Parts: sequence; C-alpha cells; structure tokens
Amino acid sequence: MTETLTMMLVVGLVLSFTILGIFIWGAKQGQFDDGEKMMSGLLFDSQEDLNDAIEKEKKVKSIKEMKSRKNKTKEDKNS
Amino acid sequence: MSIVKCTHCHLEFDEKVMIKEPQNPELNFCCNGCQGVYHLLKDDGLDSFYDKLGNNTLTPPLQAHDDLDRFDLETFEKRYVKITEDGFKKVDLIIEGIHCAACIWLNEKILHKTDGIIEANINFTNYKAKIIWDDEQIKLSEIIAKIQSIGYNAYPYDQTKSEEKATKNKRDYFIKMMVAVFASVNIMMLGVAKYSGFFSGIDDDILNLVHIGEFILTTPVLFYSGIIFFRGAYYGLKNRIINMDFLVIAGASLTYIYSLYILFGGDGHSYFDSVTMIITFVLVGKYLEVLGKKGAADTLDKIKSQLPTEATIVSDGVKKIVSLEEIKLDDIIEIKVGEKASVDGIIISGASSFDESSISGESVLVTKNIDDKIISGTINLDSVIRYKVTSDYEHSTLNNIVNIIEDSLASKSDIENTANELSKYFSITILTIAVLSFLGWYVYNAEFENALIISISVIVIACPCALALATPIASLIGISWLAKKGILFKEAKYIETFAKATTLILDKTGTITKGKLKVLSVEGEVLGEEELNILYSLVDSSTHPVSCAVRKYLENNYKNLKTLELEDIKQIPAVGMSAKFKELKIFGGKVDNKKEYERTIYHFIVNDKNIATFELEDEIKEGAYEIISSLQNIKVIMCTGDNEKVASKVAKAVGIKDYKANMNPIQKAQFVDELKQNGEIVIMAGDGINDAPALSTADIAMAMGNGADIAIAISDVVVLNNSLDAIRDSFRISKRTYSFIKQNLAISLVYNIVTIPLAVAGFVIPLVAALSMSLSSLLVVGNSLRIKKD
Repeated sequence: MTETLTMMLVVGLVLSFTILGIFIWGAKQGQFDDGEKMMSGLLFDSQEDLNDAIEKEKKVKSIKEMKSRKNKTKEDKNS
Repeated sequence: MSIVKCTHCHLEFDEKVMIKEPQNPELNFCCNGCQGVYHLLKDDGLDSFYDKLGNNTLTPPLQAHDDLDRFDLETFEKRYVKITEDGFKKVDLIIEGIHCAACIWLNEKILHKTDGIIEANINFTNYKAKIIWDDEQIKLSEIIAKIQSIGYNAYPYDQTKSEEKATKNKRDYFIKMMVAVFASVNIMMLGVAKYSGFFSGIDDDILNLVHIGEFILTTPVLFYSGIIFFRGAYYGLKNRIINMDFLVIAGASLTYIYSLYILFGGDGHSYFDSVTMIITFVLVGKYLEVLGKKGAADTLDKIKSQLPTEATIVSDGVKKIVSLEEIKLDDIIEIKVGEKASVDGIIISGASSFDESSISGESVLVTKNIDDKIISGTINLDSVIRYKVTSDYEHSTLNNIVNIIEDSLASKSDIENTANELSKYFSITILTIAVLSFLGWYVYNAEFENALIISISVIVIACPCALALATPIASLIGISWLAKKGILFKEAKYIETFAKATTLILDKTGTITKGKLKVLSVEGEVLGEEELNILYSLVDSSTHPVSCAVRKYLENNYKNLKTLELEDIKQIPAVGMSAKFKELKIFGGKVDNKKEYERTIYHFIVNDKNIATFELEDEIKEGAYEIISSLQNIKVIMCTGDNEKVASKVAKAVGIKDYKANMNPIQKAQFVDELKQNGEIVIMAGDGINDAPALSTADIAMAMGNGADIAIAISDVVVLNNSLDAIRDSFRISKRTYSFIKQNLAISLVYNIVTIPLAVAGFVIPLVAALSMSLSSLLVVGNSLRIKKD
C-alpha cells in the first residue's frame, strides 16, 4: 500500500514539475508577456494560419542563411 | 434614408453618401481609403480579416502620407534603429489605429508576407511592435508605408531601459506567482488526504509520505517565490522598518522550520500547506501591483513617440532636415501644413491658423501672423510658414512639458495605504507576543520544545493573510463595480487614495464643457430656402470645427436640407471659406481679423451682404451643476487656460466658487504641487495634453475617455463615457469601498485579538489552527462581497 502510494506520489510530482518546467521555459521566452494576445490567440490558429507560420519560418531561415553566407565570404576576404 | 455599414471599417453611414462599385453592388465604402484597403486585402488573400473583425469597427484609413523619407535619414536611424546580433536591423514602433485582435493579426500577417522582414511582433496590451528586417531587401520607410497602406499608422519610439526592466520584472513576478499557485494546488490535494486522516485515522508512514510530498512542493515556494519577501523584509530592516513583508516571511520561515522538525521525527502536525498558502495569496496581490507599474513605463514611450523628431531648417535658401538637438537659436524653420512645431519661435513669413489645443486646451483655433509667437507642440493647420527660433529644443515649451511629466511620473508618491500603516505596528506586536510567550513558557516549565511550538503557533495563528487580503479584495470588487459604470481605475490602490482625497481640480474644456462648439444664437435675416441650402453645402464641405457646429445647428433646426453643387470652393487660411454658386459670391467665416476672446463668430455673406451671424460657444455638459453641488467634503477648483471672462462665466454656471484662469500647463502643475505641499490629497480631472503635467503631478489623475491619448495614458482613472456623473460615482463607490477596507482590517484585528491569547495559553490544537487560518481569510472575502449590496 505504502509502496504504491510512494510510487504514485513520485510519478505525480515528476510529471507536474516537468509541466511546470515547460511553463517556466515558455514564460521566460516571453510567450505570456502579452496577456490579451495570448487569450485571443486561439481565434487565430486555423489551418491557414499554421501554414502561414511555417512559410514565415522558412522565409526567415532562408534570409538568415543568406546573410550568414555573405558574412562568411566577407570574413574569408578579410582574412 | 437607410443606414448601411462600410464594408471595410464597419462604421455606419447613410446609403446615399457611400461609394459604390458597379461590378460589386453589395460593397459599400465610406471613403476611398476604406475602398483601397479592402481591395488590397482581398488581393493579398487576407479578407478573412473581416470574419475575425466581428462586430468591431475601425477608424477609416488616413490619406497618403508624404514624409516617409525621414524614416531613412541618418539622424533618425541613429536615434531609433538598432542592429541585432545577426546583423539585421531592429526598430520599436507604436502602431496607431488598432482596435481588436483582428487588427493585430492583420498587421502581423501583412508584415510577415513582405520580403525582407524577419520578425514582426505586436503587443496587444500597449500596441508596441518589434520589427526586425534585412536592410538589403527592404527599407524602414517601405515597412511603414506598408502599415499605412492597410489603414494604420506607426510611430517609432525609443525603447527605454526602464521599459526593458519593467517587462523583465513583470515576467519574473509572473513566474514566481505561477510556481506558488502550482504548489498550492498540489498541496491542497495532499491536504485532502491529510485532513481526512484526522477524522478517519491515518497510518504514520502514510502521513509521513504526505508530509514529504508537501515538503518537496513547499521548498521552491518559500525559497524561490518567497525571495521577493525576503528581499522586501531585508530592505525594510535596512531602513529600520518592520514591514508586512517581514511578517509574512518570518511567519512562513518559522512555520517551515517547525514543519521540518515535525517531518524529521518530531511529534505533531506540519504546516507546510500554510506556508505555501500565505505566500501564494500575498504574491497574487503583489503581482497585481506590478502590472500597474509596467503601465507607467509604457506611458512615457507613448508621449515621446508623438513628439516631432526633426525639423526643416532653411539657410541661404537651402532646405535641410535636421534633428531637433541640432536646432540653434535664430535658425529659420519651415513648417508645413499638418506639422507640429518642434521648437518655439516667431513667424517671419506667412500666416496660418494653429491648433493650440494641445498646449492651451482651447478648442478654438488661433490665427497667427508675422511677429506672432509659435509655441512648440501646436499644429499648423492651413499654410506653409517660416519662423525664427527663439529657444532651442531643450528649453522649448514642449520639452518642458515632457520633462515635467517624466519627472513626476518617476517620483509619483504613494499615499500610504491603511493596511501598510497598520502592519508596521501589527508585525512588531505579534513578534513581541511570540517572543514573550516563548520565554514565559520556557521559564514556567523549562520545556524548550513545548515553548517553541507555542510561540510558533502564535505566529501561525496571527497569519497576516487576512490583513494582507483586506485591501486588495475589497478594492478589486470596488474596481469591477466602477468598471461596469464605465470608470476604469488602473490600479486597485487608487480607490483608497480617491476616497481620502480632499481637493478636486477640474479642467474646463472637455471636462466641464463638452469641448465642442455649439451654435448659441443667430442674428440676421430669416434664411430663405435657397440660402439655407447654399450655407448647408458650404459648411458641409469642410471638417473645420466651426463648420461642423454650424452644420449640426442647421440639421437640427431645418428639414429637407439639400447639398447644392458649389463651384470654386476655397479655404481661406485662418479666416473661412469662399465659393461660388451660379452668380452668387459666397463667403462663410470671420470678417475682421480681431481675436475673438469670448466667443467664436461665423458670418455668412452672399455678394458682400451679411445674411446671418452665428455665435458659437463651448457647451457645458448636462447636469454639471447638480453633480458638482452634490460633492460634499471636498474642495472643488476649476483650472483653465482660458481668460478670466470665460472662466468666471462657466464657473458660475456650474456653481464652482474657486477658479483659476489664464493658467498654462506648467502653472497648472505647479498649482497642484502647491496644494500637495499644503497636505491636500489632490484629484485632477482633465482631458488634454495641456493638463498632462498637472495630471501627472496630482495624487489621482482622472482623464476623460475622449481626451488626448497622452492624458489617458498618464491617468490613474479613465472615464469612458466622458460624463461628469462618473466623478460622483467614483466618489460614492470609492468611499464605500474604503469603508469596507476599514471593516476588513477591523475584522482581522478582532480575529487576532480573540485567537492569539488562546495560542499563547497553548490551547490551540493543529486542526483548529489550520481551520482558523482559512476562516479569517474567508471572513474578509465574505465581508468584501457585501460592497455591491447597496
């Protein structure tokens, strides 16, 4: 009886602390800085919005790659 | 006549005036701007915006802006643009015209679809946007043009250090609070097992298991979330004050240590749950305070973003755009229509009318000719003029006002609230009693452990929870009640200050009066039908406040007005308008250029013959007299930038005995400060930028909801419906709330007076202690709920 309870307590605590950890990570990233936007966020996550978000990620990635490539060639030239 | 909604902005207009498109008969537009934006969104596949908009309405988009190039200037870039680590550029903007979540969505979407923009993140609470872009692909002016193209506007602002700090501070409190809430929730679950064990019996090893669980959950709360109280107590002690933080943390730590002792073999009941509860409750209250403080930092940025950033200097016939700091005395500045004067000066060529409402608070436009003074912050309305600089930016009127606001916001003193005052004495008393009872019991039966347990139970019983909750709970209920009446208190603590106020200062224009001109009387011949229609068409073609007032008068007093096709409509700067209709020469406006002090006069002249003369005046709000005379136990003073004559007339009409006329914004602030020096608690109610310094100096700043953005931003209380009734309601509700705060404090004190002797005598068993702790908090919450029962 006591062993089962101990196990449940340990599993429960580990699980909930993990979730708390994820939450703190999110908060530190600034995801909860804007309360109102967070609340209305669920109005704006249709399939289309998600696709746009992926598009945006791709765009940002390509710009960043371009930039870093340029910086590299500059550095190469300098050295 | 049928009323239809504009397809874009959703504002309602008469169907006749709407712009129609032959190919899309179901669309209605109120202006070209709305039409343009609608098609732009449709072409970009963003028309789902209108589904998201729901029942919200938008402001119709502004017409094209032409001074975008300034955003690419070097002086501008030095000031606002930062470089990120990856070598991209970053700017902070404040977006204007946002009404709802859909607006945010649209702005972010359109920016994300633009090439070269890496990040665009708009904050819903303060409409600030952070934009990162690649300079090689797009320029800042193009980004801002993009925002303007969909009907919004953006101003850059200097992100201050204080703001960054405030954001971080808020986040920090938020995480700490959530950790505490998380632990409390879990401990409550374990508590179910523990307390039911009291009645049904519980095995020792299982009870121990529960205690271990509680210990694991409590530790982070005390040492992570509770660090705020440790810090507060430390700074308090450094200044030789025993504050509420000290009592909270002393109670929590001692309880924690005692519970540890029980956990490791001591005999008794652990109180880990109380430790988390105390900290969680009080932390939630603190978080609400922090939210308010973050708002103050946002405010300053808003003020600064609306200031001009550069000016056009003319030297040797060459125009040059320079930043404000570079302007020297005796420079010649050119100022275009719609621009704000950036520094003070004297006109050397041209004449124009100026909107000085931001500085003087007067809604009547002022005509300026050569040799007249220009005040910085006023807006040039109708023609290009040049003026000679008489003060550099640092000493300009505008900069002075901003500095005053900044200083007084930074040093805004809090009226100490009753709970804090009380807690000083309370903390010391409780600690003394605890120490004495420890010594007493130790001397009495020489049992160290027993004496320690009793002294700790004194502190636990005297848990400051009820005391700490007394004010926030009551204020919260008062605030929500006020909010339902359209009065927004930005922070809970202002309710108490409001209730204690001794002086109320009212601004005239916009606060006591409506701030809108109204036709008072008409002299002249009876207007014939044709003349009426001509006049109506003339005033209908202008958005000038005087024209609007005359139009409204005509609409109210005559039926079947028709708009005629006038020809050759011309705006005469600072005077009025002229037009032609068939053979008739028409003129409407001022005749002589003498300054009209008391009223605004509007002449309607046809073929050089004066047909009618309208007298216009700012109208006093309904019920002003009854409301002001119903305010008791408080001194009411009216302050205005207007002249003596107008001031005394209005003051008399609303029954105010004290009034101050001819006050400029800085004098108003000084006047408020003097009153404060004399020990008065001052409420200032105003609506314009001219009131802003006084508002920020006052203990409570109350702004009318239709007032200037800045006034609203720096205010503690915002009246949404602009009515004077709100002032009466605020007094009534805040006084009632305050009386409940006092009751709550009394309850928690009486509670302590009853239970502490029991604890000192050693009669308190653990179950009773745990129950009574919740009971005192419940009593306070329950009592607060009665506030709304009138």
